[in-house]
Amino acid sequence: MRLNIVIGGSAGQGINKISGIVSKIMINQGYFTFNYRDYPSIIRGGHNFNILSISDKRVGSYESKVDGIIAMDNNTVKVHKKDLKKGGFIIRPDDFLEYGRNLNVALAGCLIKILGFDKKILIDEIKKELNNKKSINAADKGFEAEKKIFSLKKLKNKINIMSGSQAVAIGAVNSEINLYIAYPMTPATGVLHELAAKQIKNGFMVFQPENEVAVVNAGLGASFSGARTMVGTSGGGFDLMCEGLSLQGMSEIPLVVYLAARPGPGTGVPTYTSQGDLNIALRGGHGEFPRVVIAPGDPVEAIEKTNEAFYLSEKFGCLSILLSDKHLAESEFSFDGKAKKALKVKVNRKVPGECIVKASSYEHDKHGNTTEDASITEKNAIYRLKKYVQIKRAAKRFEMIKIYGKKNSKNLVIGWGSTKGAILDAIEGLDFKFLQVLYMMPLSEQIKKEILKAKNVVLVENNLTGQLGRLIREKTGIKIEKRILKYDARPFLSDELRKELMKVR
Amino acid sequence: MKLDTKNTITWCPGCPNYKICEAAKLAIFRLMKNGYKQKDFAMVTGIGCHAKIFDYLNIGGIYGLHGRVLPTALGIKLGNPNLHVLGFAGDGDTYAEGISHFIHACRYNNDMTLIVHDNRSFSLTTGQGTPTSQSGYKSKAEPLGLVNLTLNPIKLALVSGASFVARCNARNVKHTAMMIEKAIKHKGFSFVEILQDCIVFNLDINNLDKNMHRVENKNNMKKAMVLADKWNYDNIKGKIPIGILYQARRKTLDENWPQLVKLKKKKVGWKRI
Repeated sequence: MRLNIVIGGSAGQGINKISGIVSKIMINQGYFTFNYRDYPSIIRGGHNFNILSISDKRVGSYESKVDGIIAMDNNTVKVHKKDLKKGGFIIRPDDFLEYGRNLNVALAGCLIKILGFDKKILIDEIKKELNNKKSINAADKGFEAEKKIFSLKKLKNKINIMSGSQAVAIGAVNSEINLYIAYPMTPATGVLHELAAKQIKNGFMVFQPENEVAVVNAGLGASFSGARTMVGTSGGGFDLMCEGLSLQGMSEIPLVVYLAARPGPGTGVPTYTSQGDLNIALRGGHGEFPRVVIAPGDPVEAIEKTNEAFYLSEKFGCLSILLSDKHLAESEFSFDGKAKKALKVKVNRKVPGECIVKASSYEHDKHGNTTEDASITEKNAIYRLKKYVQIKRAAKRFEMIKIYGKKNSKNLVIGWGSTKGAILDAIEGLDFKFLQVLYMMPLSEQIKKEILKAKNVVLVENNLTGQLGRLIREKTGIKIEKRILKYDARPFLSDELRKELMKVR
Repeated sequence: MKLDTKNTITWCPGCPNYKICEAAKLAIFRLMKNGYKQKDFAMVTGIGCHAKIFDYLNIGGIYGLHGRVLPTALGIKLGNPNLHVLGFAGDGDTYAEGISHFIHACRYNNDMTLIVHDNRSFSLTTGQGTPTSQSGYKSKAEPLGLVNLTLNPIKLALVSGASFVARCNARNVKHTAMMIEKAIKHKGFSFVEILQDCIVFNLDINNLDKNMHRVENKNNMKKAMVLADKWNYDNIKGKIPIGILYQARRKTLDENWPQLVKLKKKKVGWKRI
C-alpha cells in the first residue's frame, strides 16, 4: 500500500504544519512517510507544495501520480490536477476559510478522516502540537466535513521521522561539537537553525560571522585552540571557503565542513536540489592535500557519517567534508532503525594555553617555522600523501559502500547521497542490485569488484555530467556507459526512475 | 622562555618592521612580568612583509592567509577566550583584502588586539598601492599614479565601533611598545595602527615624522573624530596625532555569550571543559 498526497498553498500559509501533523499521526499508527518539500525562493505568496508519501513499508521518495490534493488555495488544484490519479480526492479551501490561520489544521482534519482514522487520534495530536481551542475546533470541523475513503489500520512498526538537517545536527552533538560556525545559505541553513536551538542545552556554541571567508578561517582558528569545530555552507559559500580549505591542508588543523548542495552554477535554483557539487567537494582548494569526502543518503547515515567526519578529521588533522543536498537536508524521512553508537572524538593534540604551538599556511619545518627549502618541501609533500594512505586504511573500518536489493543480480545500479530513497523504491521487486557509495574520498576498492561482477551497470545521479561516474573512471579505469541523469533541479521520482531502469536493463 | 627565535630575519636592512618587532617583544615582556604567561599568547599574521614577524616572535599562533587575520583570531578566541590574541596584519591585508573583517571585528568587540603595520604599499609583491597609499603614488602596477581616495582607517574603526583606537610611529619603539601593551590590556577590540615607511617603495612617512604629535583621548567620541580628521592619509600638510585616539569600555563578545562566560570563569578552553 502506498499513497502520495499533494499539500499545496502559497508561502506563509503553513503547509508544513499539515504534513507535520499528518506525518506524526501516521508514524504513531505505524506507517512510514516521506515528505518532499518544494518551494520557490519566496517568503510570502507564490506556490509551495509538499508531497507526502504514506506506506506500510519503508519509503524514501514520492511518485509522479498522486492519490489526493489538499489545497490551501485554488491555484494548487490548477497546478496539480493533471497529476491526480483517476478517482483521486481533492480538498479545497473554500469550505474552511472561516478558520483563518487554522485553515491548515482544518485540512489536516479532513485528511485524517479520509485516511480512515478515529477523531480521537487527530484531536490528541492537535492538543499535543498546538493546544488551543480554535485549532482543536478547526481540526474537528475538518474531520466532520469529509467522508472516509481509505481504512488504514494501526500497524506495529516503531518509526521516527527526521530531516537530513536534523540528523546532521544530532551527529554533530553526538560527536560533542564545541563550535558550529556558518553563514546562512539554503539548503545548509537547516543545520545552522537546528544547532543554534540546541546550543545552550547541549553546552556548545553557534556563531554566525560576516561571510563564509570569515567562517572557514574562524573555524580553523577555533579548532586550533582545541574546539571540535564544524562549519557549514552551500555551493557559493563553499567556493568562498576554498582558500581556507587549502590552509587546512597546509596547517593540518582539523576541520569538518558540511556542504549542502543546490543547483548551480551561480545562484542557480537556490531552493531546489542537485548533486552537482561532488567535483568541488573532491577538488576545492589549491595545492595537493588529503581530505575525506562522505555523502550520507538518509538521516541514520547522516548521524553516523557526521560522527565519522569528526573522528577522521581529528585523528588525522585532515579536512572532512560531509556532502549533502537540498533533497536530503530538507525532506522528512521516516525510519525504524537506529544509528550506531557514536565514536568518541578525542582532542589529543597540543593547543595554545598548554605550550607554544605554531601552525602555518607556509611550507614549514617541524617547529612551524617558514621554509622554502627544497628537501623539506619535498618531504612534506610526501608526508601529506602518506597521510592520505593512512586515512584510506582507517576509513576501512566504516561502511564506505552499501549493497541493497538482489545480492546475486547481474544488474547493478550505482548511486550516492539523496538518490538512495528513490533508487530503493524504484528497484523494489526488480532484478537489480544497488551499490550505494558513501565514501567518495577515499573511494572503496570494492566498487571495482562489484562492477566487474555485474553484466549491466547503470549510473544514477542527480546532476548533468555524472560526477561519481567520472570519479569511478578515474580510480578504476572503468567507464560506466549507461547513465540515468536528472538535472532539472528536482529529485528522482521512484516510478519514473523505475521505468528508466527497466529500459536500460 | 625567551621571546626571540633563532630564525634568520629576512626583512630589508633598515626596515621599520625590526622596530615593530622590538616594540611587540617589549610589550609582551612587560606583560609577562605582570603575570601574563607566554603560552597564553596566540598570534595570527596575514601574508606580507609584516607577517614574517611570525617566525621572529617566540609565541604560538597561526601564520594565516592574506587578509584573514581577524576571522582567524576571532576563531582562536572563540576556541579559548582565556588566550591573549594578537593579530599582526599589513595595510593591504587589513584595508584591502580583509576590509570587511575589519569593520565587523570593530563591531564584535571581541577582546583581542589588531596591530597594523601600515607601510602604505604592498611591499612583498614589489610595491603596488594599497588603500592608504597617498594619491599620485606610482608603482609598476599603477604607472599613471593612484587616483582613488585614500582610506582613513582610524575614522573607519571609530564609526565601526572599535573600543580602543591608537596610532603610533614605528620609529618610536618605546611609545609603540606602550601602545601595544595598553591595547592588550584593554578589554575589547583594540586597534593599533602603526605608521611606518617602506624603505624600498614608499618613503612618505619619513617626511611626515615632524608633523606627528602625541595626544591622549578617552571616552570622547567627538574629540576622537576630530583627531581622526586631522590627517586624511593623503595630505602632506596637517598634524598627525599619535597615541590613544579613543578608548571606551563596552561589553565584549565573550561577556555577551554565556558559553564563553563559563569558559572564562573556569579558565579553560573547549578542550578542557
